[in-house]
Amino acid sequence: MYGYILRRLLLAIPVLVGVSILVFSIVRFIPGDPARIVAGVHASQEYVERVRAELLLDEPIHLQYYVYMSNLLQGDMGRSSFTRRPVTEELFERFPNTLILTVAAMGIATIFGMGAGIISATRRYSLFDNFTMLFALAGIAIPVFWLGLMFQLLFSVQLGWLPSSGMETWKNLVMPAMTLGLATTALIARITRSSMLDVLGQDYINTARSKGLVERVVVYKHALKNALIPVVTVMGLQFGTLLGGAVLTETVFTWPGIGRLLVDSILTRDYAVVQGAVLLLALLFVLINLLVDIIYALLDPRISYGTQEVD
Amino acid sequence: MKKFLVLLIIPALLLGLMISGCEPEEVDPVDPVDPEEPVEVAQEIAVAIGVEPENLDPLKMTSAPAATVSEHMVENLLYLNEDGELEPALAVNWEVADDGMSYLIELREGVTFHDGEPFNAEAVKYNLDRFMGKGEFEGESPAVFGFLLGEVDNVEVVDEYTIRINMDELFAPLAFHLSHSFIAMHSPASIDALAEGDDITAPVGTGPFKYSRWDRGEQIVMERNEDYWGGAPEIEEATFKFVPEGGSRVIMIETGEVDAVMDIPFAEIDRLEAAEGINIVYEDSVRNIYIGFNMESDLFKNNQELRQAINYAVDKQAICDAIFAGAYEPATAPIVPAVFGYHQAGPYEYDPERAMELLAEAGYEDGFEMELYHPTGRYPMDATVAETVQGMLAEVGIQANLSTFDWGTFLEVINQENPDDAEHDAYMLGWGTVTWDADYGLYPLFHSDEWPPASNRAYYANEEVDALLEQARREMDPGVREQLYAEAIQLIWDDAPWLFLYNQVQVNAELDRVEGLIHHPLENISVWDARIVE
Amino acid sequence: MILMNNKTDQISQLQTPKSDSEIRQVWRHLRRNRMAMIGLLILVLFLIVSIFAPMLTQYDPIKLNLINALQAPTSEHIMGTDWQGRDVLTRILYGGRISLAIGFITVVIGLAVGIPVGTISGYYGGKFDLFVQRIIDILIAFPGILLAIVVVTVLGVGVEQVMIAVGISTIPIYTRLVRGSVLSVKEEGYITAAKSLGIGDARIIIRHILPNCLGPIIVMSTFRIATSILWAAGLGFLGLGAQPPDPEWGAMLSNGRVYMRTLPHLVIFPGLAIFFMVLGFNLLGDGLRDALDPRSRKYG
Repeated sequence: MYGYILRRLLLAIPVLVGVSILVFSIVRFIPGDPARIVAGVHASQEYVERVRAELLLDEPIHLQYYVYMSNLLQGDMGRSSFTRRPVTEELFERFPNTLILTVAAMGIATIFGMGAGIISATRRYSLFDNFTMLFALAGIAIPVFWLGLMFQLLFSVQLGWLPSSGMETWKNLVMPAMTLGLATTALIARITRSSMLDVLGQDYINTARSKGLVERVVVYKHALKNALIPVVTVMGLQFGTLLGGAVLTETVFTWPGIGRLLVDSILTRDYAVVQGAVLLLALLFVLINLLVDIIYALLDPRISYGTQEVD
Repeated sequence: MKKFLVLLIIPALLLGLMISGCEPEEVDPVDPVDPEEPVEVAQEIAVAIGVEPENLDPLKMTSAPAATVSEHMVENLLYLNEDGELEPALAVNWEVADDGMSYLIELREGVTFHDGEPFNAEAVKYNLDRFMGKGEFEGESPAVFGFLLGEVDNVEVVDEYTIRINMDELFAPLAFHLSHSFIAMHSPASIDALAEGDDITAPVGTGPFKYSRWDRGEQIVMERNEDYWGGAPEIEEATFKFVPEGGSRVIMIETGEVDAVMDIPFAEIDRLEAAEGINIVYEDSVRNIYIGFNMESDLFKNNQELRQAINYAVDKQAICDAIFAGAYEPATAPIVPAVFGYHQAGPYEYDPERAMELLAEAGYEDGFEMELYHPTGRYPMDATVAETVQGMLAEVGIQANLSTFDWGTFLEVINQENPDDAEHDAYMLGWGTVTWDADYGLYPLFHSDEWPPASNRAYYANEEVDALLEQARREMDPGVREQLYAEAIQLIWDDAPWLFLYNQVQVNAELDRVEGLIHHPLENISVWDARIVE
Repeated sequence: MILMNNKTDQISQLQTPKSDSEIRQVWRHLRRNRMAMIGLLILVLFLIVSIFAPMLTQYDPIKLNLINALQAPTSEHIMGTDWQGRDVLTRILYGGRISLAIGFITVVIGLAVGIPVGTISGYYGGKFDLFVQRIIDILIAFPGILLAIVVVTVLGVGVEQVMIAVGISTIPIYTRLVRGSVLSVKEEGYITAAKSLGIGDARIIIRHILPNCLGPIIVMSTFRIATSILWAAGLGFLGLGAQPPDPEWGAMLSNGRVYMRTLPHLVIFPGLAIFFMVLGFNLLGDGLRDALDPRSRKYG
């Protein structure tokens, strides 16, 4: 098991190096003169040239990359060309906000999605089941920013229950997390339902039933663990999607996370921040995938040792 | 299974109804949300602005939002009030020498910075030298806006509370330039204490408010300066929140999350006017928007008729009414009326027939195609305006091909040093005359020395205009200067190097419970004279 | 904003009907699936409406008419007018063309690269395969819509640019899918047999392998179209998507959101249009997947 984890961690390194090279070059293909943008529309050409030299923009790209990487390995991601602050500082200020939002969204999605999926599976074709499946279909087709706007209208303006933006108290988190989590909730509900149905139809469950075990025990003790495998996989992959979707959600709710920082930095051609933010997100994504695979290995009966209920 | 379809459509309809139901007037304006802020007593104020300051260091600041926040904490020698008059601030008196080549400035005595350091002539020299990259800062990079003091030779300490600014060459608008928010006085000790490579993010000045904290991406919080030389403000805590989305800013003022917001979306003006507890405040701006012609393009070079024809073909009033809810006004000069040196030269009235005649005179009776470049998301409704202009030009047979760019790309494509590299025939842009003096609004944009990479992006060149602008810069008599600018403006107007569009107007909103907010034409909201009533 | 690639592995295992009778069987299964039929109906409606838009409305989707600007829905303008006085219904009808085009073209871009690369990678394996896999790993390490955002910034704003950007971010997903399908088909007995008969690789790939990968590709494409439409709208919302005067739904929605409070029809109708089209593709995709997956016939 440890060998497996180690191998996976080592494999992640070339991926991250690849991502860094890719981002580094893509960012430099973005049209627009970063020196001019930093200096602003009013600045003199002399000043623009000074900025250009300061940002090493005249150097060949491989040299720029070399300088960047050697600094990065010492924990220095350069400075934002816009705010002039160290990129690490910018990222570490924003990153927890995105993490809070994403984790909250995932929490909502897990609780409601799994709950609805399990109930639906056990009460197939009931009104609840129909409603859940309808929700599961609609939930992934709604544009996330549109949903955010509708929530604001309803909960802030009409009902006055929740603040429309910012992040002072837990109340600020409710709407963004619901908005971001809705699609994932829908997806998890669906996967849980079909996975549960799949497992509930297996022979060993029928065996358990025929042994006279209470249905609740059958469902929650025996079926759920096996049904969770595909759900966990989906959740892990959804985490990346959530990080991407956070860009839009953060924009609607003025949530000062890394997604908004990224889009703002693209628009201001803030190379150092774009690189830093993308690298950080990719690192996170790769780590989560790794984690998913490990959990998957732990849950999969073919890998776990001899505790299987099947006779 | 048909019920599935029904189940699907019903919520959609309900949603529709729910949202249509949202529009009625009876929107509850005040504060069910924030329980820890009882409306009665707390002298705390929050203002939502659209953009976060990039920086609060005079060396690096470039935007109005940076100025808005900064001027609460750090002050200038002179303050340009909302009526365009210079007031004493950290300077109590200023005199120009007879030859115009030096300024003697008396400083306010007994002022201390927030860190307890004294404010005096040395501190002023330190700040101005740093801004210009001179004196002890020789060889270091000057401020982005260093050109504001480009004609200054040196700053001399006369005594503890007097300085003299010696000029390189005559420069009439210097006092206006000294009032620019980016030339504010920071405590020299606080700047010396910065780590290598760091810029000022927590300003230490002499202003009515002290820096408290900056939650990046969210807000800057300031607290009252109890020892302010002008008397402590009533507001104890001032917060500027950064909310890019216009619709979100509106919701925030409706729910009472903030006390004032800048830039209400035009579509919301009528509704908010009717809402209880909310006031709409219209305030002039010093920015105008135009579509510049590439005067070196085959199309527009030496073709005044054509350029004028386009000015006649576009209905500026209709644009102001339909897109800006009547808040904006058609341009009557290359600068806005509030600016010193303004002269009313227009507008070009909407007259499609006149446009057709001029087109015929120019030899384009069958119309032509032109490439119109415009930014998106930079100015209010910029892409919509470009689209509307396109439609209006089509009416007189001109086919304008639009190319849309985000701001970063746009600045580069229209900034071609060699006019032959420019692929556009026309470009949409705005300019704020932030010093409130015509020199800043005309010289960089119309003097032939200022072609790209400087700001004369129309490649305009007129020797007469050049001469007038140079003369006005050196003329110390305001009456004569006004005369010179009037002549220059009339020449520019008739040459029509731009399609003159409109002057922006700020549309802000504040709650009834706020008194004394200053809405400033320089796109600032200032809270130092404000208080919360009721 | 759902990235469907989590279904890649699952989808790449789907079977492809090999004969006319099997196709008929799949179709029969699909027809019995009411939800899939609803999806198909929605899509057919959108298609018809998009094609015949000029006949269904008397208004012009682009030409401005400022006098009629910002009208609430009336009998003359069922969905009201926008800030340029254009009929919203008309723009939505024409906008269907753009959204369908975005959906299909992004998928074509993904397929154009994904099929050849995925096939070669899966069929031959070896160093090329390792190389391709690493590249895919790198591209897929960009979470969600992120790659599209980065690419569109390089290309500039506009409908075509959005198509290319979203298309490019689709490539790794298809490459991985096709590679997976090829790998599973490659081991089938008839392929080994064909090889031992000395039939050339090109012929095996074109005649035997690719046709057997069609099932997964079709299912994935149906889902990807839906995702592309949502992503394009999302890019529009960030100001990086289609630009005026194009009646793209996402752009209509994001330009209309300043009027959301006073004239909600400007936001509601484009939002619903996106919703239903995406829903249509998702429903059809679900149905196709079930129909092509013999296992799923056991369950509802």
